[in-house]
Parts: sequence; C-alpha cells; structure tokens
Amino acid sequence: MGNILNLLPVLLFLVGMLGISAYIQRTSHENRQKDFAKDYFIGGRTLGGFVLAMTTAATYSSVSTFVGGPGMAWVIGYGWLYMAIVQVVVIFLVLGVFGKKIALIAREIDAVTVIDVLRARYESNLLANMAALVMVAFFCSTMVAQFVGAAKLFEAVTGFSYVTGLSLFGLIVVVYTTIGGFKGVAVTDACCAIAMIVGMCILMGGMMSAGGGFENMMQYISTKHPDMLEPLSRGKMPISLYISQWLLVGICTLALPQSVVRGISYKDTKALHRAMIIGTVVIGAMTLVATWIGVLSKGILTEGIKAYGSVDNIIPIAIVKSLSPFWAGVIIIGPIAATISTVSSLLLSTSSSIVKDVYMNMKGQKGESLSNSMVRVYSLTATVVLGLVVYAIAINPPSVIWQINMFAFGGLETAFFWVLIFGLFWPKANKYGAIAAMGGGVLVYCVTMAMKIKFMSLHQIVLGIFFSLLLFLIGNAMGKTHDEKVLRIFFPEKFED
Amino acid sequence: MKRSEKFRQANREAQATCLAAAAVIVFWCLAGFGLADSDITILHTPLWVWGGCVGTWFFAILVTIFLTEKVFKNFDLDSKEEEK
Repeated sequence: MGNILNLLPVLLFLVGMLGISAYIQRTSHENRQKDFAKDYFIGGRTLGGFVLAMTTAATYSSVSTFVGGPGMAWVIGYGWLYMAIVQVVVIFLVLGVFGKKIALIAREIDAVTVIDVLRARYESNLLANMAALVMVAFFCSTMVAQFVGAAKLFEAVTGFSYVTGLSLFGLIVVVYTTIGGFKGVAVTDACCAIAMIVGMCILMGGMMSAGGGFENMMQYISTKHPDMLEPLSRGKMPISLYISQWLLVGICTLALPQSVVRGISYKDTKALHRAMIIGTVVIGAMTLVATWIGVLSKGILTEGIKAYGSVDNIIPIAIVKSLSPFWAGVIIIGPIAATISTVSSLLLSTSSSIVKDVYMNMKGQKGESLSNSMVRVYSLTATVVLGLVVYAIAINPPSVIWQINMFAFGGLETAFFWVLIFGLFWPKANKYGAIAAMGGGVLVYCVTMAMKIKFMSLHQIVLGIFFSLLLFLIGNAMGKTHDEKVLRIFFPEKFED
Repeated sequence: MKRSEKFRQANREAQATCLAAAAVIVFWCLAGFGLADSDITILHTPLWVWGGCVGTWFFAILVTIFLTEKVFKNFDLDSKEEEK
C-alpha cells in the first residue's frame, strides 16, 4: 500500500480536468440549447490553432508512448528511437491532406462526424453503418487496452492497487468527457499534452542524476552494449520493421478517423496552419524524449530482461529507481494524461457513432426527428454507459485484449485509408468500391493477423492496405459514378460555372 | 475566392503535403542510414542518431513552416456568405 500523500499530485490534476470540463459545460450552455449535437460532438467548430494541435497530438500519443515504446528502446537501443521518430509526419500529414477539404465540405453539408461526410459522399447507409461498427469495435478495444496499461503502471509506481488506479482516473475521465463534450475533451487534451511533456522532462532529469549524467550513461552503453548504437541493432531491427512502421505509425495514420474528425472542428485556416507547426514540434519532442528515456534507462537497469519480468515493466521500474516517491507521484501524471486524453477522444467518437451516425440516422429515415433535448439525453447517456462498460471490462480484462489492441490501429487504417482518400480526391470513386475496400480490407487484415500470414515479413497492414486498394478498384468498376448533385458538393472545381 | 478555387487550392495543398512527407522520408534515410558508418560521436552518441532522430524532427518542423508559409493560403471556410 502506498502513501496517500503521494497520490495528491494526480488527484489535483484529475480534479483540475473535471473543473475545466464543468466550466466549459457552463459556457457552452447557450450553444447546446441551439444545436446540441454540433456543440457536443464537434465543439461548434471553434478550435484555435494551439488547442487543435495539442488535442490531435494528445489523442495520438497514448500510454504506449510512455511504457511500451521506451521499454522496447531499452532492449533495442537507438534503432527504436530512429523508428519511432517517423511519427513526426503524422500531424502535418492528416491536417495538410484532409484538414481544409473536410472543413469546407463539413460546413456545406453541416457534418458533425467523419461518417456524416462518408455517408454524403457515397450515399450509402450500408457503408456508414459498417464504418460505425468498425469504429465502435476498434475504439472500445483500444480504450480498454489504454486503461489496462495505465492501471498497471499506476500499481507498479504508486503501490496502490490496480483497481484503485483504474477507478480513480477511469471514472473521472468518463465523467469529464460526458459533461465537457468535444470542446471539453480538446481543452483537457491540451492540458494533458503539457502534463506529458513536463512529466517526461522531470523523468529525464531524474534519470540523468541517477545514472551520473548523459555522457556517463552513454559511455556505459557504448562499451557494454555497442549493438544499441547501430540502426539495425545487429539484426534485432530489420529493414522490414522500419518499412512496416513507416506505414503503420507514419503514413497510414493519415486516415485514422479520430484524427480526421479534428479537421471538422477548427475555426479558420490560420488555426489549421498554426496547428500543423505546433503539432509537429510537440509530437516530435514527445517521441524523442520518451523513447530516449528508454534507451538511457539501460544505464540504470543493467541486468537482463528476466530480472525485470517483461518489457512493459522497464519504465515503471526506472521511475521507481530514479525518482523519490513524491516525484514519482508527480510524473505518473504524464502517462495517465496520455491515457485519458486518448480515451476521452475515442469515447466521444464512439458515442457520436452510435447516437449520431446510427440512431439519429435511422430515425431520420423513418421520417421522425429527434428534439434537441432528446439528442442531449441520448448523447449523454451513450457516453456515460459506454465509458462504464469499458471501465468494467478493464477491471478484469480478457487476456486476448492485447492482441485485439494490436489489431485496432491497423484495422482502422485499413478500413478508412482508401475510402477517405478516394472519397475526397477522386470524383469517380463510388459506393461499391468503398464498401468492397472497407469490408474486404478489414477482413483480409484481420484474417492475416489471426493466421500470422505475412508478405516479405512486413506487418499485415501492408496486405490490408494493398487488398483494400485492389477491392476498391474492382468494386468501383462495377458501379456507376455518383450523380452531379453529390459531386458538386465534393468537387466543385470540376464544374466551372 | 470562389468555392471551386478554394477546392483547387486545397487539392494543391494536399499534394504539397504528400511531397513534404516524401521529403521527410528521404531526409530520414540520408541523415540516419546515410550517416550510420561515420565514426564521429557527440556525447558518446553516434552522429546518425543526431542526424536521423533529432535532425529528422527539425527537418519536419522546417518543412511544415515552409508549407504553411509558402504553399498554404488563408481563405474563408464558409462558402455561403460569399455567394451573395
């Protein structure tokens, strides 16, 4: 059992997040009375550049930025850092490619979610429902895995039990996401991103002093583990892994719906431009510092992997070894911030899929419309119930959760990559192509993952993306181009008046 | 700016962003793998780590500044008012 005083920093931080959300709920009261869904799920399209950058970066970086990644860097060395740094492209890529186009289209058709945009472009409820199903399944498993990772870290660092940690930040994030809505998520995300950076810097400082300074630790590593200083790490870091990672955590993240939805949420083009720069600075700094900590911890944790259990234990042990209990209690805020900022965004995206994309649409098709106050009740209920379900699963997680979580990232990318790119940039793309690409691509990806089939030892994302493209082109050839009414919204430049 | 011009501009920006990402990949290869055989170390850390990791980060920031300053243009995202 740990000392309750050491929990104080985390408690203050979490209460702060609650306070921010409550404040935002009060200030958004008027907008929510006008159009609840628009304010709650997209923040009324008012985000500025700084908040847009921070929320995109914080949603993207998760508990594995703090634990799994640096743990692997402890094993592999600088090769892992070299691989992780490919993530510097993720923010400018998604905002630069989709940011403006999706913002223009969303304003035209009054879209609130990515699925709204897809539904309007492909005129297919089947595609929209499929997309909602893919998002809900992959988002929920990611959320559970995030909770599990953070609660384990909490237990190892503070000495309090797994369930105590999980209940503490798990329930608070559910509450603040429910009351704050998208704007609350965005602003708390920004605070979380700052907390992550501060936490990493404190840990880096603590480790430097525990290990006798940067040069001293590097000297130890270069004499004892020279393989850690080579990009291929004497075969532990093959070229195929670099290529896989460029696709999986670099280029294909372009299509992650939780990032693309941020293109609907910002205020003006200036905000977008500023967010691209700030986001690139922040995501690079986080990746560099966190992963570098992993490499350097080799200078503190000098025994073999067996002495520490698993790769995921490296960072918790490094924290306990290099910081006093008080400071350990402070920096635990970092990984918790990383976790709750990812969970809050996914939770809101999931409930928007269910309420807005599926339920409200079904009602709309029957010719019934929901009153603003009913939308409010359904949205809040969906968010809180989903959050509690995820929390409950995380209390006693199925062991398969880690494998499902490994699916999630690549699965979302496979599902949305070509459907979004062709949908927004290729007028001839039609719904048959999109349905084949999403359904078939995800199927190929899941089957090859489950059966461990690989092409040239590259990650299954390669097969998923390739087959998704192939199926898109085949399906597309069978269908007709959509009519002019739709195309005028999405490709006005093709119709010179 | 007419709506069709905005879309044309957005397409140009998307293309430029893809080129920028390609430039980062090339830089990453050259400054990392390209320097891997060098014996120079700074603070007992090989040159390719500084070039391929820290360098790639700086390069990506510069590329993004170039994009947003030189290629990207500001315009009003709301089309409805301008059609008047």
